[in-house]
Amino acid sequence: MEISQIIVNSLIRASELSLLAIGLTMVFDILKFANFAHADYAVLGSFLTYSFNQGLGIPLLVAIVIAAILTGVFGIGIDKILFKRLRTMGVQPVSLMIVSMGVAIALRNILRLIWSSRTKTYHIAIKQPFEILGARITALQLEIIFAGLLSMVAFHLLLHRTTFGKALRAISDNRALASACAIDSEKMIKWMWFIASAYGVIGGTMIAMEHVLYPRLGFDILIPIFCAAILGGIGNPYGAMLGALILAFAENIALALDLKWLLNLGGLFHFESIQLNTGYKPAVSFVILIFVLLLKPTGILRKE
Amino acid sequence: MTIVNFIIYFMIMVGIYALLSMSLNFQVGYAGLINFGQVVFFCIGAYTSSLLATKTGLPLLFCFLSAMIVSGFFGYVMSIPTKSLKSDYWAIATLAAAEVIRLVALNEGWLTGGPFGVMSIPQPLQSLFSMENYPLFYLLLVAMCVVGVYFCLTLITDSPFGRDLKAIREEEDLCLSLGKNTRALKLQAMIVAGMVGGLAGALFAHYITYISPENFWPIETFLMWAMIIVGGRGNHAGAILGAALIQLFNVSTRFIGAYVALGSDSMASLRMIIIGLLIIIFVSYRPEGLIKEKKKVYHLRTSQEE
Repeated sequence: MEISQIIVNSLIRASELSLLAIGLTMVFDILKFANFAHADYAVLGSFLTYSFNQGLGIPLLVAIVIAAILTGVFGIGIDKILFKRLRTMGVQPVSLMIVSMGVAIALRNILRLIWSSRTKTYHIAIKQPFEILGARITALQLEIIFAGLLSMVAFHLLLHRTTFGKALRAISDNRALASACAIDSEKMIKWMWFIASAYGVIGGTMIAMEHVLYPRLGFDILIPIFCAAILGGIGNPYGAMLGALILAFAENIALALDLKWLLNLGGLFHFESIQLNTGYKPAVSFVILIFVLLLKPTGILRKE
Repeated sequence: MTIVNFIIYFMIMVGIYALLSMSLNFQVGYAGLINFGQVVFFCIGAYTSSLLATKTGLPLLFCFLSAMIVSGFFGYVMSIPTKSLKSDYWAIATLAAAEVIRLVALNEGWLTGGPFGVMSIPQPLQSLFSMENYPLFYLLLVAMCVVGVYFCLTLITDSPFGRDLKAIREEEDLCLSLGKNTRALKLQAMIVAGMVGGLAGALFAHYITYISPENFWPIETFLMWAMIIVGGRGNHAGAILGAALIQLFNVSTRFIGAYVALGSDSMASLRMIIIGLLIIIFVSYRPEGLIKEKKKVYHLRTSQEE
């Protein structure tokens, strides 16, 4: 594969993953538990987008926005019913993690019950791909990269230019001090769930648009998202973006890498091309995750 | 299938899952190790035993023992990162590790048969029994394993070792300050749990006589989690009760499915929705499960009492 193609594919994957990873890292940082249902929220949003777009004929972009808002409200609702109660009871974060696993299983199967496990596509017209420096890229993929960049800039502004962002960062740094400064942390947590879930929907829908949509998608992207978030350092949204970028490159390079030259020892042997079986593509992120956890569990970028 | 055969099948599956949930409960309920990749022991046990039996034709007792050893070794490997990782990070890592092993089973066709799995796995002492009586013998075998494991685990958890494990679960730093080598304790706990899980895998493979990566989806792990959460963590009887109840629920919904006009796909989703809800409800409203862990409470004797 051309190097330029690897770069393009990695950028697309990174845009998709980072939008999911920033939400996960925020929740993990502020509420101190790994939300296993995060990816399933995003898939719920993708299915809502699908229904609005295909069933009701709403334009795709508008459908994504409505689905993101609805899923954001859903995220707040689940927090209100389940997590808030446990949080105020002061149970260990591990219990919250197990509850989120239960939410993930139930939600995934509710999606399967409503939309059936058949794969779905958004029926986007396929156009002739462009060629940039030898890499082929479709208009949709360009839009995905653009939307990803735009969302991340918006997220940065949200975090640094609004009172919500400042309050959220204050809670993340020191919760007791934040509440002493009259920051209503429960209200901020509500907004945080909204932002995290809504951003997830944008990322999830992008993945579903580029590939296909099915209820188990949430589980299939869960570990890559965790990998990106932990690799970048939990609690740091920019770290999550960087982690997604590194992971995306690692995935694409691992599959494209041909170890032929290494084993042939300069013409001594004549091995056929030795490449990683494509069946192992999901395993790349799993193995990176395990190694990051073993070697540097704090991630690359520490919290500021 | 006659009703008697069906009941025997059901009880064998309860027994196998009881072993798996006792193994998980030993990690979660005693040592406080949150393992989200429990299915890996099941998978490794099943593959080790069935591959040894079909490829080398070694005696089945040897295959069963190897399954336990290999799976116990994997428990050791999984326990290595516990020294530096917080429990939630470790949980994510175990989930990933279980998927890696399933992908290896799926992609290394030369060894595992890939997606087609391992077929015609021999059954222990098959020649001694007739076709009708064999399931009954197997039930006896599984029951013996469950009883044996139950007693062994009770012995372990009632020993000072078991109390040390509970101390880790409650307060690891305190345990360290008392001079306990918590890392070695966790390691030993994982080896024991791995061996029990491997035994369950071998029993499953030689009963069903056909295994493929389809049997080892991560969802199996969460069925086992539902079992220990419903039954009650921190006691072996709870794990067995949970296994029986969740299996009963699984089977009964299959029967109901024959009378309700819903596709099998919808029934399967409904079943898993209820499993998910059970996990949520029990953790939120009855975290101790149906059978409560018996905790010994030692009261400090104050000077006024004396």
